[in-house]
Amino acid sequence: MTNAILEMRHVSKRFDMTQALDDVSLSLYPGEIHALVGENGAGKSTLIKIMTGVYRPDRGEMLLDGQPIQVHNSQEAQAFGIAAIYQEPMVYPDLNVAENIFISHADRGPFVRWGKLYRDAEAILSKLDVKLDVRMPARGLTLAAQQAVEIAKAISLDVRVLIMDEPTASLSAHEVSQLFRLVRSLRDQGVAILFIGHRLEEVLRIADRVTVLRDGRWISSTPRSEVTSEQVIRDMVGRAIDDFFAKSEAQRGELLMSVNGLAKHNIFSDISFDVYQGEVLGFAGLIGSRRTDVALALFGVEPADSGEITFEGQELEIRSPQQAAELGIAYVTEDRRSLGLIMPMSIAANISLPMLRKYLTRLGLIKQKEELAVAAEYQDRLSIRAPSVLVELEKLSGGNQQKVMLSKWLNVRPKLLILDEPTRGIDVGAKAEVHHMINDLAAEGLGIILISSDLPEVLAMSDRVVVMREGRHMGIFDQQEATQERIMAAAMGQAHAPAESRQ
Amino acid sequence: MRGLRHRIRPEQVRESVIVLLTVVVAFLFSTQIDNYFSARFFNRVSTSVAIIAVVAVGQTLVFLTRNYDLSVGSIVGFTAYFVGQTLTHNNEIAPLVAVLLAIGLGAMMGAFNGVLVAYGRVPAVIVTLGTLALYRTILVEYSDAQTVLTALLPEWILDLPRANIVSFGDVDIRLMVGVALVVVILFQLVLKYLPYGRRLYAIGSNPDAAEIAGFPSQRIVFLAFVLCGALSGLAGFMFLARFGNITVVAGLGLELSSIAAVVVGGVSNQGGAGTATGALLGAILIDLIDNSLIRWPEISEFWRDALLGLLILLAVAADAVIMNRLRNLWTRSELQMEAEADVSIAQEQGSHV
Repeated sequence: MTNAILEMRHVSKRFDMTQALDDVSLSLYPGEIHALVGENGAGKSTLIKIMTGVYRPDRGEMLLDGQPIQVHNSQEAQAFGIAAIYQEPMVYPDLNVAENIFISHADRGPFVRWGKLYRDAEAILSKLDVKLDVRMPARGLTLAAQQAVEIAKAISLDVRVLIMDEPTASLSAHEVSQLFRLVRSLRDQGVAILFIGHRLEEVLRIADRVTVLRDGRWISSTPRSEVTSEQVIRDMVGRAIDDFFAKSEAQRGELLMSVNGLAKHNIFSDISFDVYQGEVLGFAGLIGSRRTDVALALFGVEPADSGEITFEGQELEIRSPQQAAELGIAYVTEDRRSLGLIMPMSIAANISLPMLRKYLTRLGLIKQKEELAVAAEYQDRLSIRAPSVLVELEKLSGGNQQKVMLSKWLNVRPKLLILDEPTRGIDVGAKAEVHHMINDLAAEGLGIILISSDLPEVLAMSDRVVVMREGRHMGIFDQQEATQERIMAAAMGQAHAPAESRQ
Repeated sequence: MRGLRHRIRPEQVRESVIVLLTVVVAFLFSTQIDNYFSARFFNRVSTSVAIIAVVAVGQTLVFLTRNYDLSVGSIVGFTAYFVGQTLTHNNEIAPLVAVLLAIGLGAMMGAFNGVLVAYGRVPAVIVTLGTLALYRTILVEYSDAQTVLTALLPEWILDLPRANIVSFGDVDIRLMVGVALVVVILFQLVLKYLPYGRRLYAIGSNPDAAEIAGFPSQRIVFLAFVLCGALSGLAGFMFLARFGNITVVAGLGLELSSIAAVVVGGVSNQGGAGTATGALLGAILIDLIDNSLIRWPEISEFWRDALLGLLILLAVAADAVIMNRLRNLWTRSELQMEAEADVSIAQEQGSHV
């Protein structure tokens, strides 16, 4: 076997509370496509950010041709021959194709020689068998063509290690094969390729070797010939569930909301499910599965184009968040900082915000006493740890901020509560409290939609789990059927997902 | 159609429209104002355009990176005053030294803007709004409300505005117009043929990509502000030569007219598109309108600024609506990639799973 170009040895990285990478080793060989797979948060992004110099590892080292190297930024990475291509290609829409390829070159002389620039660009593209007009501005390129330009750029820079971070995420099937042909021709020229993908079928189609990460740890690296999709999925999941708070058996009440064939052009299509009072309906899926988009449609922020929504027996269209809130739907966002809360304002002011009209005197002034009383009630009920309800939110921990956001929406007295990643970025204790609360709320008869990328959490908390993948509904599993393997298989688009079991 | 699109780009369509508009505007005014096409009026407008064009070229460099420089008027005023004051006290200073002093002074003020925007990451609007006031205040303090007087300036600078390159009858092509043309052509070439120029477009076109592209984008933005300051300094010198009497309000409002020239001339406020030639054409159009309105008794003085503002809004709106469509039309269906059959692999995959 030839020697590795780039080697990561025992790399660890920690952010505040999360160990993003824990003693991960990985070798990239010339002429090999190395696939890296793992759940959301498995540490893939952190690893490639270390390779490209965005982060520095806490421990461990990086070796290029056997020599340890230090990479401080992407320029340095590029100088070492390490480049990355992301999901959204980084082209300059106003520059033409040839300029896009050569913009980072420092060695093309003091003047731009346009004739030579075009000839060189054409030469590189023809080496890749890509037919593009190099004189046209890049703004009209399809995503696949933009990626071809990025790959041409990488080749022109003599890249030896090319990292491709989910390059196929927004491509059509046709474009994926266009891209894969390029990737193979790049491999055949001796480039080492690290390919990160969420579609298992594609990963297995392109990879020569598959490495699985889970919870920041290295699990396995297997040559393609010895790998099966079942095994990859088993390696990806396999997390312990027992330290989670399991949902008590639900007293399922009346049908609360029924969604049939909900669709939004180019975002999601044919989404159907029912939610009952007292039920927790989990939504599982990987990044890009469009679960949040469905939630935003249900809450009227980005209304769906077509499909039926029946809420409490009444068929209706949800066109605005105001309407959704009046119906009794609340949406607790995943993006606490920018969409969920107003950080410089107090706990009380945040909680009363959506219902401010209820706290007004006849002159239109805010009844502060009542506002504070309500806030204090929630502080007590959800055990928000803060010296007083007048404390600004930015002074609270993530977990307590999360509880304030929940209080804010509970105060609306919703019938249907949509929770989007309610335990992301909060510590274990706060997580358990949030789980407890979800359980209590369901017991009170609320219908709850729980979107979570934390697979054990979804499994433990939900009565039933909807699995989505790239805007499509992949199946509904009830608590008995739902196993990590099955859900992950459905989320990664494996064909043998069990039949839907809808009642 | 394909061949046509290769030869003409949307920017050129736009620039032709501005030339056409300028002709139409001149014609309209000539029907309203007696003796409109006079040599005297041409000389006056061309000298005035020269100053705005030089500032507008600097503004173009900054605009291309998706930034603004609102302090150009203050830089022009400050350099005009400072150089004028220096020449008053030292009549023997060589002309070249005086010009370099103006350019250097402007470059320093531009560098201060550039450091804060490029390295301090403060939005350009805030920085240059601050320095707009700051540089003007320093000028007021420094001048102690004194005026630079024409009578005390050396001979050569007083002769400068009337110095000609060539004359056609009474119509003069003045030295200052020549200087402006050289600046425009020089920077047109810089933008087209130097890697620095191309990277200005790249940064404005996609700042996120430029950040990780492996070229020093901060330094490039910084240098754009320095160049804009230097050109404003040069314009300050031209301002001094043209008017002789310099007060503390010299150059007031040049930020508005330079931005109007640049935007009307097709430099995108979203960065990434526009040329020095466009800026010159924009400067000609707006200054022609401005100077014609002065001579048109029907219109009150105060409407001139309003009209500038209206022109900016119209140009931006036209860009948003027409230019974007034009650009997409130009590129649509031109760029496609060869498909490939990946059948063998798909089958191999099928046998594995």
